[in-house]
Amino acid sequence: MSLLSPWALWFALSLPVVVGFYLLRRRRISRVVPSTVLWQRFLAENEANAPFQRLRRHALLILQLAILALVVIALARPFRTGNRLQGSLQVLILDASASMQAVDESPNRFEAARRQALAMVDALGPASEGQEMIALVAGAQAEVRQSATTDKALLRRAIESARVTDTPTRLEEALRVAATLVKDRPGAEVHLFSDGAVVDLAGIDTLDLPLVFHGVGRRNRNLGLVSAEMKSNPEDPTQRALFVRVANPTPEAAEVPLTVRFDDEVVASRQVRVGPTNGVAEVFVVDQVRDGVFTINLDQADDLAVDNTVSVVSRLPRPVRILLVTRGNRFLERALRSAAPRVEVTVAASVRAEGVEADIVVLDDVVPGNWPRANVLAIHAVRPEWSPGRVGSLEAPVIVDWKSTHPLLRFVGFDAVQVAQSLEMPTPSWAVSLVESSRSSLVWAGEVDGQRTIWIGFDLLQSTWPLRVGFPIFIANAIEWLDPDRIRAAAETGRTAAPVQWLWKGPGSVPTALVTVPDGGIESLVPSEGTREFVFPDTTRQGVYRVEQGTNRWSFAVNLLDARETDLTPKESLDRGRRAPVAATRIQPASLEGWRWFALAGFGILLTEWWWFHRRTA
Amino acid sequence: MSDLLQPELLRKLEQIQLLTARRARSSLRGERRSRVRGLSVEFADHRGYVVGDDLRHLDWNLLGRLDRLFLKLYEEDRELPIRIFLDASESMNFGTPSKFTLARQIAAAVGYIGLCGFDRVSVEVFPAATDPLGAAQRRALRLVRGKRSSLGFFQNLGAVVPGGRADLNTALRRGALEDHQTGVAVVLSDFLDASGFEPGLTALVARGFEVVALQILSPEERDPTQFGDLRLVDSETGQEVDVTFGRYRLKAYQEGLERHVARIREFCSARGIRFLSVRSDADLGTLLLKDLRAGAVWS
Repeated sequence: MSLLSPWALWFALSLPVVVGFYLLRRRRISRVVPSTVLWQRFLAENEANAPFQRLRRHALLILQLAILALVVIALARPFRTGNRLQGSLQVLILDASASMQAVDESPNRFEAARRQALAMVDALGPASEGQEMIALVAGAQAEVRQSATTDKALLRRAIESARVTDTPTRLEEALRVAATLVKDRPGAEVHLFSDGAVVDLAGIDTLDLPLVFHGVGRRNRNLGLVSAEMKSNPEDPTQRALFVRVANPTPEAAEVPLTVRFDDEVVASRQVRVGPTNGVAEVFVVDQVRDGVFTINLDQADDLAVDNTVSVVSRLPRPVRILLVTRGNRFLERALRSAAPRVEVTVAASVRAEGVEADIVVLDDVVPGNWPRANVLAIHAVRPEWSPGRVGSLEAPVIVDWKSTHPLLRFVGFDAVQVAQSLEMPTPSWAVSLVESSRSSLVWAGEVDGQRTIWIGFDLLQSTWPLRVGFPIFIANAIEWLDPDRIRAAAETGRTAAPVQWLWKGPGSVPTALVTVPDGGIESLVPSEGTREFVFPDTTRQGVYRVEQGTNRWSFAVNLLDARETDLTPKESLDRGRRAPVAATRIQPASLEGWRWFALAGFGILLTEWWWFHRRTA
Repeated sequence: MSDLLQPELLRKLEQIQLLTARRARSSLRGERRSRVRGLSVEFADHRGYVVGDDLRHLDWNLLGRLDRLFLKLYEEDRELPIRIFLDASESMNFGTPSKFTLARQIAAAVGYIGLCGFDRVSVEVFPAATDPLGAAQRRALRLVRGKRSSLGFFQNLGAVVPGGRADLNTALRRGALEDHQTGVAVVLSDFLDASGFEPGLTALVARGFEVVALQILSPEERDPTQFGDLRLVDSETGQEVDVTFGRYRLKAYQEGLERHVARIREFCSARGIRFLSVRSDADLGTLLLKDLRAGAVWS
């Protein structure tokens, strides 16, 4: 405790003055009484009133001296060194990503960060100073838990109610929100409470963000599964190949056991050695005789448990049934037959082929009366609903660009491909153009109402494309992209925080879906009017989610699988691209004045004395 | 007849007789039964005849039956010494009406009852008067007999002016030693003497007096009305004490006063002293004819 105005202690000289007043005789009403015998016990503390007598215990004198002393101390402006925020607006961002579950802090990084955030709330100035604070939680989404307020109780409640998730960090979004909040607020600060396991912030280096990074985390002692994929054996449909990647971001080599379970039954186990700051990929070939869930466990007691388990939903593969409606195209038919290991191609002149249930319908220069409900590869055929009355013709269009990053155009090029004539129509809003001519799109792909469609605007036989090596590759990519089993398999094993969507394809009314989440809770999804699509957004917990809809029962799994979350190396700074890195910091110490408390205590004593005086003389 | 007591009250007092449990020990004749054998109508005992006895007192019935001479003895009625200790100190001069006014009226009533009963009445006024006239009047109160003396008795009593510092214990002890013949002692005081009251009352009881103690307190003493920071001056000693007194302490004061009275009552009860505490504004008729009768002071 120090004093900002020590000169005010001169006021303490008034203390002897008060004592002097007490030493002087007080004016009393003189009254003659028959006898003072009955008054002996009421003799007040007055015998000390005679001048310069020894001061005896006198409660009122003590109270007045105490008041005066407190006032003098308050005038001297005592202060202590504590935590105090300076800016007018503080934005707190609490990282709630999976890596914050690491237990190297007590009890974990998230709680440590929460403690720091709460300490900052405590350091917030009084409401009278107008210092405001905002609480954000950066998990799967950036969520404003508490808007700008001076109320510490609200801020504490908002921070205490935050929960850590199994999701990767989406810090950039939170920082963008914070940037809008502190815009045009001079003196504002953004405090990030995180372990720094985030993508680099180069994407927001254009933001002038007054960022303060409060790091948590003490060590890096963690191995994790960062990748998992399942492939079927083309030769044996009952076999599965599980590709797993184990990452070891620690500087020491480790040897850990990996266990593969199928519906809680151990089907494979292996000891894996992973080098320091390295990763190792493992392949497990396992038999599968029924649909089920594969679970890969890293049996290692490390600081982060959430990345030690991966679940994969697996169904038995079945052949892709393709209905090729064509007037005859051997290039296309051959490409289709060799597109996938197990395809069943039926060639027909019209869509109404008897007894054919197709997963994919290929329309080769044929426009059916009833457009099929299956996924469609439409070649030189236009559904009237796509662009009513606006289909034209392009003569010898020149291919100027194609979207090579799209899965459909993987390993596919359009160099030296000439097209004699093509249909011209605008790309639907739900589709993305893949191949562009100078005037319009020649190939596009998209999904609407649960149906995937690839459209090729030109007749293959009126182009040189079937002669190029990229054509069969494109057909293979197209079959893979249109295969409903693959689509469903992709939906059934996803990442945390990614919403899972599916389409109800059953007949009749759409039933409500009940989703059992990994921790046992049940959430219901009520279908919207006129739609058969369901979206389950709350996939912040890793594990297997079981869906019950009508008579259908199926599962999907979500996993963390994020190498940045697995790497628990404490970060000393945050990289912000072109801007200088943000170093980890602590709350700045400041001088906290305490004169109000002394003044308040003095006022309280004054009230006590007032009450006492009136009680004595009332 | 008197400013102290109304004639109607005097007439009623004439019907009253002081109650006493003891036989009169006075040497003078009166109307009180005594242990002395003498002339009266109350038979007391027999004794054998000796030569020289008055033959008029022979019991002729016994002579006839026993053929022996016996003399009949009768109780001798003697006077009852009534000694009144009247506190006339400055402290008694307080109150509305003053405590001394009531004390003097009670003294007059007691004295009048005694005079009507052919008892010897003696009023001991303390402290002693400083002026010669006052001293003479007080001396005249030391021995009064007979109803015919009541007028002078009242005049002398009415002339007493309170003042000075009293010493209750000294006055009572001296009174106990001075009287050769004990009787009834009536003590009229406020019993607010700093030196206490116990030695004086003890001396009277030890001397054989039948003591009646009447404490007189003014309304202002029972319910003080002056509050705040006070400087209290003792009327007798002149001692000054500073007191801070508020309404919240009134109850504590009254409790202290009650304890003081209870202490006197307990002391008196233990020694067979009849004690009564009265207010100076009490109605005199009610006090004399009802309260003191209920207190077995007189019948």
